[in-house]
Amino acid sequence: MSTGEKNWKCAKCDKQLVLKNTDFFYLGHKFTYDVLNCPQCGKVLIPKELAEGRMAELEEALEDK
Amino acid sequence: MKLEDATRYTEKCFNGEPASCSYACPFHLDIRSFLEKVSRGRWVPAYKVLRNAVIFPGIVSVLCDEPCREHCQRTLLGDEALAMLDLEAACIKYAKNTKPEFFAIPPKSERVAVIGAGVSGLACALNLAQKKYSVTVFEKESGWGGKLPNGERLSSHPRFADFDQDIALQFSAVDVEFRYGTEIKSLTELADFDAIYIATGKGGDSFGLLASWDAEMFTTSEPKVFMGGTLCGVSKMEGIAHSVQASKIMEAFLQTGKASLVNAQVYDKKNCERYLKHDGAVSVPRVIASSPDGYTEEEAKKEAARCLLCDCDYCIASCEMLQKFRKKPHKIAVEVATDMQVTGNLASRALTRQTYSCNLCGHCKSVCPEDVDIGALLQSSRTARKNAGGESYPAAFHDFWLREMDFAVSEGFLAATPNGKNECEYAFFPGCQLGAFNPDYVLKSYEFLSSKYDCGILLNCCGAPAYWAGDESLLNENMEKIKQAWNEMGQPTLVFACATCESIFNMFLPEIKRVSLYALLAEEEGISSIRPYDEAVVFDPCNARNNHGLETGVRKLATEAGISLHELKEPNRCCGYGGHIRLANSSLYEEIAQHRAEASDKPYIVYCVNCQDVFARRGKECSHILDLVFDLKKGLKVPTLDQKRANSVEVKKILMKKECGIDFEPETHEWDGLKLLISDEMQKDMENKLISAADLKEAIWQAESSGYKFYNESEGLFMCSMIKPVITYWVQYKEIAPQTYEIVSVYCHRIHFKEEVKQP
Repeated sequence: MSTGEKNWKCAKCDKQLVLKNTDFFYLGHKFTYDVLNCPQCGKVLIPKELAEGRMAELEEALEDK
Repeated sequence: MKLEDATRYTEKCFNGEPASCSYACPFHLDIRSFLEKVSRGRWVPAYKVLRNAVIFPGIVSVLCDEPCREHCQRTLLGDEALAMLDLEAACIKYAKNTKPEFFAIPPKSERVAVIGAGVSGLACALNLAQKKYSVTVFEKESGWGGKLPNGERLSSHPRFADFDQDIALQFSAVDVEFRYGTEIKSLTELADFDAIYIATGKGGDSFGLLASWDAEMFTTSEPKVFMGGTLCGVSKMEGIAHSVQASKIMEAFLQTGKASLVNAQVYDKKNCERYLKHDGAVSVPRVIASSPDGYTEEEAKKEAARCLLCDCDYCIASCEMLQKFRKKPHKIAVEVATDMQVTGNLASRALTRQTYSCNLCGHCKSVCPEDVDIGALLQSSRTARKNAGGESYPAAFHDFWLREMDFAVSEGFLAATPNGKNECEYAFFPGCQLGAFNPDYVLKSYEFLSSKYDCGILLNCCGAPAYWAGDESLLNENMEKIKQAWNEMGQPTLVFACATCESIFNMFLPEIKRVSLYALLAEEEGISSIRPYDEAVVFDPCNARNNHGLETGVRKLATEAGISLHELKEPNRCCGYGGHIRLANSSLYEEIAQHRAEASDKPYIVYCVNCQDVFARRGKECSHILDLVFDLKKGLKVPTLDQKRANSVEVKKILMKKECGIDFEPETHEWDGLKLLISDEMQKDMENKLISAADLKEAIWQAESSGYKFYNESEGLFMCSMIKPVITYWVQYKEIAPQTYEIVSVYCHRIHFKEEVKQP
């Protein structure tokens, strides 16, 4: 988690976000990863670095089959 | 998809098959491989290729009448065929190790009798002895060799010493019993043997079995008696080749009790006719040996290097996609079939990226001597994947264009006859992108058509996005809608401005009469009004392939404008847009687009707005043919996704008012009134990611109205997500004023996550 990510709060609940094991799905595959969630409402935050980094790599790997 | 359904697409592909010379060779020697090795001075491997095919290279290299040379494709260039006998002789001469291979196989108990020690009988005996059968050769004369075609003994040939040495060499690694001076008068003498091969030579004794001889299986009416060689009316070389084949059939007989081709290789000789075009191959004269003793090593290498190594790879050589994936057509077909046999979550699909990386442009088929269409194979794979449904369908590759199509077939749709009439003779079908790129392309064209013809308007998507996504039901649904509108308009001839639309109609609604806008414009003398360039190249879109009326019309219009036209070396190459590969393989898309932009340094005249979009984005100087006709040239600026949508709405609004007298009221959304501040750099980023400002407004409105958003107090930033069925969008923004937001960052992903949002 980068330092920038720590500064995000859930605006709805006014809660600091926490890392939570979250289920991900793509092209029939399922996997889990720790990402920031609001501890109260459960809203998930995917930072840009994750979306355009590891998630994009994983998308590419699964699509390459 | 069944394997045979997939391989049917590539069954005519002869990539990897023996060359025409090898089909003509009685031994089916892999001449391509032999010459490639000789050309590199790899004498021993070359010798092995030769020896394994012809059995007695020392004899064959002298006596073969070289039928291969008649089928040497170098002769198509006016050159003499490769000097095969001289090259075989050189190979034998320069190969340092010609010792036959010894096979460490346990001896077998079955006994084989060979009648006749001519080269046919010897070849059969040698092959079976190598497999460790107990072989006895019966010969009435006092030595091996048999006869020459002229009936003389082989031993009378001036090169017999070499032949004798060759036979001795080949038999040096096997145990064979030779009984010379032993004439077999009746096969009953050989009753103890498990199999008999009769090779008594031309005019020799067939023991009354010749009439029952089977030319394919070398069998006779006696189950264990086989026959071959010049006795059966073939040439000496064919006789050797026959004996090799016969030995394999006899081996199957000895193993199973039944003669079969299970160990043999079967060739279809008709394939001799499959010649290549050899465009660009240079004429090279035959190398003449400097000495009567034959080629020096260097001369042989040079002569062998004249071989064109004929193997068809035209499609691969000219397609970026096929080069990138480095798979031969047959392999792709097998993978397409395998891909559809995958079930359950434990196994992965066999072929996803490649299926969706094909421009479906037809170029492979156009360069293939056998019209093999790999695009059609991959299109069928896309359809099969879509029909199979399930989570493994890569919906993200086509989602953007399917949403565009959804707009064009619903809100963007308009079918109107002119001047309040019920029917019309013509209807303009501009396609969804022409007006989106520039409303005047449609409006001016329609104005022209209305002034000359009884012409209505049909605004819709042709269905190409659904076709390219493999979505048959969506495609058919749209075709039905178009057909209904066309019927209601009195079945007019449709006027097309887009080659892709025209090709889709050609495939799926062939009953609708079609004409190209550019062909109609070209009928008007002197209609082209501006000349943006002195010289230019016409960039024909891939879907205009074989549409000669279209190609000719555009050239006439450009020439009339006073432009000196040049032709591209390869016409109808896809600009990159075809097949909607951009999201499936962005790097390949960029590579193809760049190659096409660089295909000529002259400006392009285009007549497909998708080509125009691709080239203008790269700064490649280009003009649409309608820019010339209607003086619409506006530089190379490409409208944004939102401008395109607004342009389409404007076209519909104007035409609906004109023909129906109705004010079109586009669909409105609660988020339309939001104001976004988007920097040029951010706009470019959004265009690359195919994210529109309308998407961002919707996401922000959802977040602001529901309160579900994230806040970064130190930077004064908000962030929210918008989860759509296929793509999840994220936007970071600042609130500048009420309902006014500065966009800071935008991104999206295809992976879904599980989010259980609770009311706080």
